[in-house]
Amino acid sequence: MSQSLFSQSWYRVAALRPRLRRHAEIHRQSFRGEIWYVLQDHQTGRFHRLSPSANLILCLMDGRRTLQDIWERAARRNEDDPPTQDDTIRLISQLHGSDLLQGDLPPDLAELAERAESTARRTLMARVKNPLALRFALFDPDAILDRLAPFYRPIFSLWGLAVWLAVVIAGLVVAALHWGELTGDVANQMLSAQNVALMLCLYPVIKALHETGHAVAAKAWGGEVHEVGMMLLVLFPAPYVDASSSAAFPSKWQRMMVAAAGIFVELFLAGAAAIVWALAEPGLVRAAAFNVMVIGSISTLVFNGNPLLRFDGYYIFADLIEIPNLGSRSNRYFFYLIERYVLKIEGTKSPVTANGERPWMLFYAVSAFVYRTTVSIAIASFIATQYFVFGVMLALLALVGTVVSPLVKGIRFILSDPKLNGRRRLAMTVTGAAGLAAFAILFVIPLPYTTMAQGVVWVPDDTQIRTRTDGILTNLLVQPGRDTQAGEALAKLEDPSLDSRVAVLQAQLAELRLRYDAARLGDRVQAQILQEQITSTQEILRVYSERQAGLTVRTEHAGRLIVPGAVDLPGRYLRRGERIGYVLTADDPVVRVVVPQTDVDLIRNRTQGVAARLAERPEEVRVGAIRREVPGAQQEIPSLALATQGGGTIAVDASNPQKPIALQSIFVFDVQLAGGLPFNVLGERVYVRFDHGSEPVAWRVLRSLRQVFLSQFRV
Amino acid sequence: MSEPLIALAPSQIAPAEAAWRLPQARAYTERKPLKPDRLDQAVAQVVGLVRAGLAGVSARRYGRIAHDALAQAQAIDALSDATLRERVRGLAGRLRGCTTFRDADITDAFALIREVSGRVSGQRHYGVQMMGAAALLDGRIAQMATGEGKTLTATLAAGTAALAGLPVHVVTVNDYLAERDAELMRPLYAALGLTVGVIKEKQELAERAQAYSCNITYCTNKDLAFDYLRDRIALGQRASDVRLKLESLYTAVNRLGQLRLRGLYFAIVDEADSVLIDEARTPLIISAQAGSQFADDVLSRAMEIAKTLASPRDYAIEASEHRVVFTEAGRARIADLVSGDGAAWRGRVVREGLVRQALSALHLFHRDEHYILRDGKIVIVDANTGRVMPDRTWSDGLHQMVEHKEGCALSSARTTLARMTYQRFFRRYARLSGMTGTTRGVAAEFWTVYRLPVVRIPTHRPLKRAHLPDEMLTDEAEKWKRVTQRIAELHARGCPVLVGTRSVGASARASAYLTGAGLPHTVLSAAQDNAEASIVSEAGQLGRITVATNMAGRGTDIKLGPGVAERGGLHVIMVERQDARRIDDQLAGRSGRQGEPGCFQAILSLDDPLLAGGLIKSGAARRIMALLGHERGQAFGCRLLRFAQFRTERLHARMRADLLRSDQMQDRILAFAGHSE
Repeated sequence: MSQSLFSQSWYRVAALRPRLRRHAEIHRQSFRGEIWYVLQDHQTGRFHRLSPSANLILCLMDGRRTLQDIWERAARRNEDDPPTQDDTIRLISQLHGSDLLQGDLPPDLAELAERAESTARRTLMARVKNPLALRFALFDPDAILDRLAPFYRPIFSLWGLAVWLAVVIAGLVVAALHWGELTGDVANQMLSAQNVALMLCLYPVIKALHETGHAVAAKAWGGEVHEVGMMLLVLFPAPYVDASSSAAFPSKWQRMMVAAAGIFVELFLAGAAAIVWALAEPGLVRAAAFNVMVIGSISTLVFNGNPLLRFDGYYIFADLIEIPNLGSRSNRYFFYLIERYVLKIEGTKSPVTANGERPWMLFYAVSAFVYRTTVSIAIASFIATQYFVFGVMLALLALVGTVVSPLVKGIRFILSDPKLNGRRRLAMTVTGAAGLAAFAILFVIPLPYTTMAQGVVWVPDDTQIRTRTDGILTNLLVQPGRDTQAGEALAKLEDPSLDSRVAVLQAQLAELRLRYDAARLGDRVQAQILQEQITSTQEILRVYSERQAGLTVRTEHAGRLIVPGAVDLPGRYLRRGERIGYVLTADDPVVRVVVPQTDVDLIRNRTQGVAARLAERPEEVRVGAIRREVPGAQQEIPSLALATQGGGTIAVDASNPQKPIALQSIFVFDVQLAGGLPFNVLGERVYVRFDHGSEPVAWRVLRSLRQVFLSQFRV
Repeated sequence: MSEPLIALAPSQIAPAEAAWRLPQARAYTERKPLKPDRLDQAVAQVVGLVRAGLAGVSARRYGRIAHDALAQAQAIDALSDATLRERVRGLAGRLRGCTTFRDADITDAFALIREVSGRVSGQRHYGVQMMGAAALLDGRIAQMATGEGKTLTATLAAGTAALAGLPVHVVTVNDYLAERDAELMRPLYAALGLTVGVIKEKQELAERAQAYSCNITYCTNKDLAFDYLRDRIALGQRASDVRLKLESLYTAVNRLGQLRLRGLYFAIVDEADSVLIDEARTPLIISAQAGSQFADDVLSRAMEIAKTLASPRDYAIEASEHRVVFTEAGRARIADLVSGDGAAWRGRVVREGLVRQALSALHLFHRDEHYILRDGKIVIVDANTGRVMPDRTWSDGLHQMVEHKEGCALSSARTTLARMTYQRFFRRYARLSGMTGTTRGVAAEFWTVYRLPVVRIPTHRPLKRAHLPDEMLTDEAEKWKRVTQRIAELHARGCPVLVGTRSVGASARASAYLTGAGLPHTVLSAAQDNAEASIVSEAGQLGRITVATNMAGRGTDIKLGPGVAERGGLHVIMVERQDARRIDDQLAGRSGRQGEPGCFQAILSLDDPLLAGGLIKSGAARRIMALLGHERGQAFGCRLLRFAQFRTERLHARMRADLLRSDQMQDRILAFAGHSE
């Protein structure tokens, strides 16, 4: 749009004699070396940022001068860049829209009513659109805070800072000293049912103190706090305080301090809690202290301190880099860039008002969008897993908010915005091409599609050589690594007690036989007893002899003898059934791969090739093929190496120490690698890639979405 | 946006000495402005499309009314004059008694008015005219083929509404038509006991108030809208019904006494598409004299700078939107050039505005096309009609810049006092209706903007107009050769020919070619006076050749002379496509009226102004046409031109929508400043 000094609507306002209403207050602030004026509306608690020329116009409005007069004066004062009439009209109408103007015309009641109605509708729409952050105002704490001022004002001093620093540093030191203890099993501890209950009790208290921090800081420097309320943040109640009056503070450090006060409070609590935790005996107090520590430090810094979310961190950050309205202006700047450089619209207005804002804005616009989108989708899916209908609604709402509505707005802009008149074809070409490219990447261009899984080198059970009796292994009869014949003796065990036992038994048997001979003729009854004893002893002796024979370990198949840790073996006492080694033929070792349920269908039906890397030699890729698959799901995992504790990917039930049981059903595949496996990597981890050919991305997303619905919601 | 129509502010207003009449129930009735939100707007768009599709269906009810009215004809025919008058008075009483028109009452009213008309002037309304009138009473656009007697149709609706006590405004496109129609129908209205007023240019307030106080007022859209605008100035802010009435109680000189109109009750808009759609983009402004905004030397310096700038590098001319856009390089260059030029040039907005106006004056506004020089003054020429508009000026210093360019004395600038558009104005009528020959492509817009559904009224007699296939020629010269040849052919047969052009310039060219070929002809300058109308009405005589723009003599019947019908009736040749297909139809509708024979033919060229700035340049189009051979080349050329026309239609529709939207947005932004007039 071409800019002109004069406006065709000027005649409508030229004769007005407006005046700023009394409750408005103007504050002078400096951003990036430039002076701005902030108009504070005490009635609504809103702020308007004014440029110096707008401020001049505002100051000239005294209820006696006409707007024509005011504009002429302002233009004369600013000859280099006079405010245009349109600018002036916009300013006036904004002020009017915020009820900050008093004019010589009586108020138009119909218009007032309409405006009130539209404001109410907007508020309602904002709630409907954002049901994850509903606010309910409760009361006005200003008077109470005034009365309590003597108690908290001293905190905002050097002494206060010193105490704060002392506690926080002490807490840090304590935490560092007990680092191992603290981080031992945080996840498990934090998420146990008992602890969640404790946290639910502590959280509101800590957050209430956090909000008190904001309120008190705002009051300490002369601000006002008129609203305390309850916010349903992701359906979880959290207190909030309206400390926005701090925006009027002239010093950015004060503004930042008010925004940061909550975090300061929580860090202080965390520091104190760390000390208590270190001193207290195990019990409720210690557990509570631990929770306070975690909430007050980690959760606060990650959540409140994060500038990408619209919480405290955002305001601190915006004040720190002196870019007010960072969020909305960044977005505008981003669209400005598109309009200016992609669509080539001449005369678009850049929202940049000072040097050095550009990189910040660009960076913020992109990262905040990505981050917020991710978080909102994550939150929605988390809630969806808990409450299906509600969650799906939320997820849809999040989808509408983050994807659909910007898309619709963009399309409407391209199709009908008057800014694009004359350039619409270019705009359509550019967006069409971009859309087509996105479509092609998503739906048309096949990209390599693979599934990654982990497995272990595995040998069949019958190739294992196990002892058949307890004993000390004296020596291996066949050198490990050598080929053996079926039935060949491999190792010799020794069990001295067994030998003596056999000797004793043999002696007993001889004695019994002699006694039997003696008694046979005389005492028949006695002889009968002895006969029984002989049979029994013979039986025992047979068993022991067999055991004795078992001391010589033999193989049943021909193959190569593999004995892991062969050097340590001689002299070791082995229990019955313990594994000595393997007798393997070349194609015996396979890779036993474990995959979660979500991937099993793909691997079964669409595997076109398998490749594997051994954890020991990751540089070497080996080709393989699926040799066997276990048709049913199972919970047992073949090797602890595959569990998360062992560095794998399968989560196991920690409460069952005997057997590694996967939390979710798993499926097992045996993969035979071409060229076989060396025998020295048995039990080792293998990374396996199943190749499914190529497929466009969108279909995969759809498939996994369907799986999510199937598994989470059983629909 | 079209150039605004500007009228001067009224001088001191004397209190009107209107005859005493019954006080109105509401002072200055008008419909509250629609304040549609986005949803309403979206719904209206859909409904508009649906309604546009149903234009033919809703005519059935009106058919029944017409049928019933005609059924009464014999009974009424037998009545004596006195009884007839009695019946009319009785009907008036009944009509006044109710707030809506009931079908039975309408039927009676139509039957009576038809009979009165028959006895007064011998013209009895046809059934289709009654259908049209019923649609008008219902607040709709009656789409009636040209030559179906719209003037007479209007009498039924106007008469019925006036009998019901509503002040009726019959809106025509020019003074001549308003006066002619009013005089033509005055006896009929008089016989019904109704008074008729006519609004003409140069009438004073009292005269106007007098005319508007009649039961039925014939006026032009321009006069009507400006009178309303002046009334709004007189009313000022806070002119609610109660305030006005109270005021009239305690002061002798009150606002109510200074008004022209009585309010906006019922309007019948003739040529509704032209008034409500084509002219919708024209802002109406009432202005007062003000001192010049810029000194002479500033203007000349701006001109100087403008002449040093070069087109693709420093600025671009957007022909379709008639504006100049600077490039970054151009902005920098201007800043560079004026660096030593003093205070007036320091502001970026100011200097760029000045240079932009200078560039517009140099490159966008041409003498004898956009304006002419008369007595050392710039007089603006209306781009649509070719009429000169002595009371118009351009705004924002452009007028002064053009004066400077032509070396005229600088006129003083004007400041706006009130401003509105036809879109806003006609939407304020409590009951709006219209008649038009064609609504092709704008039926939906009638609904979305004015909430006017379109009803297609069948023709009285079947149409006997022949459409010859369009001819597409490669360039302008070829086209004129073909046109003159064709006209000579027809002329030799004695067939009357009407040549329809788009602009006054094209009319002049046509005249030159015809003179060259030795063909006697008449050229119409769209002066829109009595003489012009009579020339148009003579265009149907044997062997006549008439060259006219599409607007010339609009609303005038071209009656066929004796012996013409046997020779195939009036032959209309279109030499340029109009801005909208609808206007093409209007031109075609000049022939074949009321079942007479007629012929329409378009002889076009690739140099048509519509193709300028299109997708395919005329040079490329010529080559493609040559490649495709004769038959397919013709088809291609015609399609290309149709497409260009479609694009123009769409562009204009969008500009109208934008204007309305920005108007509404302005209103919202400026709510604190009271209403805009």
